[in-house]
Amino acid sequence: MGVAYYAALAINGVVEGLIIGLAALAINLVFAVARFPNAATGDLMTVGAYAGIAVQQAGSRNLWLQGLAAVGTGMALSVALYIVIFRALRGRSMLSSLLASIGLAILLRSLLTLFVGPDQYVFRIPMARPWRPMGIPIQPNDLWLAGIAFAAVAASFIVLYLTPIGRQMRAVADSLTLARTSGIRVDRVLVALWLMVGVVTAVAGMVLGIRTVVTPELGWNMLLPAFAAAVLGGVGSPVGAVVAAIVLGVAQELSTPFLGFTYKIALAFAVLVAILAVRPSGLFGRAERVR
Amino acid sequence: MLAYLVAVAIIFGIYALLTLSLDLHYGFTGLINFGHVGFFAIGAYTSAIATLNGLPYIAGFTAAAALAALAAWPLGLLALRLREDYLAIVTLAFSEIVRVIVTAEKWLTRGTQGLPDIPRPFASLGSGYAEIAYLGLVAIIVLAAVLLIRHLIKSPFGRLIQAIRDDEVTVTALGKDPAGAKIRIFMIGAAIAGVAGALYAHYITYIVPDQFTPLVTFYVWMAMILGGVGRISGALLGTAILISIFEGSRMLRDLFPGILQVEMANLRLALVGLLLVMFVLYRPNGLLASRSDP
Repeated sequence: MGVAYYAALAINGVVEGLIIGLAALAINLVFAVARFPNAATGDLMTVGAYAGIAVQQAGSRNLWLQGLAAVGTGMALSVALYIVIFRALRGRSMLSSLLASIGLAILLRSLLTLFVGPDQYVFRIPMARPWRPMGIPIQPNDLWLAGIAFAAVAASFIVLYLTPIGRQMRAVADSLTLARTSGIRVDRVLVALWLMVGVVTAVAGMVLGIRTVVTPELGWNMLLPAFAAAVLGGVGSPVGAVVAAIVLGVAQELSTPFLGFTYKIALAFAVLVAILAVRPSGLFGRAERVR
Repeated sequence: MLAYLVAVAIIFGIYALLTLSLDLHYGFTGLINFGHVGFFAIGAYTSAIATLNGLPYIAGFTAAAALAALAAWPLGLLALRLREDYLAIVTLAFSEIVRVIVTAEKWLTRGTQGLPDIPRPFASLGSGYAEIAYLGLVAIIVLAAVLLIRHLIKSPFGRLIQAIRDDEVTVTALGKDPAGAKIRIFMIGAAIAGVAGALYAHYITYIVPDQFTPLVTFYVWMAMILGGVGRISGALLGTAILISIFEGSRMLRDLFPGILQVEMANLRLALVGLLLVMFVLYRPNGLLASRSDP
C-alpha cells in the first residue's frame, strides 16, 4: 500500500479518464453545436463495441478490423440518428432533443439486449504480464489503449482546429445564424459533426469494451461520469471536457481506498454538484450570455 | 380478476402521484427535473425504515414527505442559478447519488439485499379486503394531490409560478420573487413523490436499490409528455397509458408463453423509448395539449 500502489491507481485513473474523456468530448461536440446534452452518447458507444464483437464472432481476431467495423457502424448510426430525428428537432427547445435522445438511448439498449441477449462478451486479446518499473504495475494493454484514446482525442482536435470543416463547426457553434449568413452550409457541417461523434463514441466503446466486458449497459454506465466531465469542463469546451474527465478519472481511482467501490461512482456526481454550486457555468465555461 | 384490477389500480395511483408532482415541477413551473426517482426512493426508504422500527404509519408517511422535501431544498437553490440543461444533468446525478447511498449504507438499508417484510396497513383485514382498503388509501391521497395542485394553480401563487415558467424576467421586473416560489414548488412536488414512495414501499413490502433507477424518472416523463404537459387530466391519462403498456406486455406474455420474461421486459422498454421519440417528434403537445413544445 505504498507509493507504488497509489501510482498504479493514478495510472489506471488516467486511462479510465481518457475513456470518459472521449465520451465527454462526444457530448460536448453535440452540446456546443446542436445545443443539447445527448443522452444517447453512451449507447452509441455500446453499439460500437458490439460491432467489434460481431466481427470477432464472425471469426476475425484482427483488432484493427474489429475497430474498423465499430467506427463504421458508429458513423452510420450517428448520422442516421441526425437525419431521422435530430435534424427535425433543430430550432425546437433543448428539452425536445434531450427527451428524444433519452428515448433513443432506451430504444437502442433494449433492442440490443433483445437481439444479442443480456450475456456478456469479451474481446479475446493476448494477455500480457504487467511491467513493473519501480514496482509500479503497468498493464501493457492499458498503455496502447490509452494511446489509441489519446490519438482519437488529438485527431478530433486537429479536425476541429486545423481544418476548414472544423472552423465551420466552430462558427456554427458560435452563432448559427451568422454562420448561415456567411455562406456556411449548416446541414453539411452538422452531418460532419455527427460523423465525428460516431467515430469518437465508437473508439470509446471499443477501448472500454477491450478493457472490461461488453454488456448492453456498457455505455449507459459511462453516461453520467461523461456528463459530469462535460459540464465540469464547460459546455462548448472540448479541451475542458477531456481535461475534466482525466481529473475525474484520477480522483475516482485515488478515492477508492478511502471511499470504497460503491461511493467511487458517486464521487463524480458529488464533485459535479459541488462545483456547479460555486461556479454555475462549469470550470472552464463562460458565463451564459443573454441571447 | 378483482384482485388483479385492484393491484393495477394501486400501481396506477402511485405512478399518478409521480406524474402529477413532476407536472407541478415542469409543466406548471418549468423546472426541469430528471431526478424524480430520487424523491421517490427517499420516501420509500424513509417510511419503510420508520415503520420497521416500530413507528406508526402516519409517522412513516409524514417523515417520507418531509425528508423528500428537505432533499429538494438544496436542489431548488441550485435550480435558481443553473441553466436548464445543467439542471437536467444535476438532478439526474442527484437521483443516482441517492441510489448509491442506499446501496452503500448497509447498516441502515441492508444495501443490495433490500428491506424485506415492510409492514402493510390494513393487513389485519385479511387478504382481498386489505388490498381494497389500501386502494382506498391510495385513491384518497391521489385525490388530495389533485385538489392540492388544482388549488395551487388557481391561487395567486399558481398564477405566479406559471408566469415564472412563461417569462421569468417580466415576473422579476414586476417585483415578484421567482426564487422563493421555485424552491417552494420544488419542495412540494418532492413531498408528493416522497408519499408515492411510501405508498409503494408499503404495498410491495420489499424494496431494493435497483427499483429506483433513472428509468423510473424517464417512465414518468414519458407519461407526462404523452398525456400533455401542464394539465392534470393529461398527467392522469399519460399514467394510464404507461400502466397499460406495463400490463399489456404482461398479458402478451400470457398469450405467447414462448416469449421469455427478459425479452418481454426489453420489448416493453423498446416501446417506451420509441413512444418517447415519436411523441417528441410528432405530438410534442401530447394527447391533450396545453403548452407548445416541451
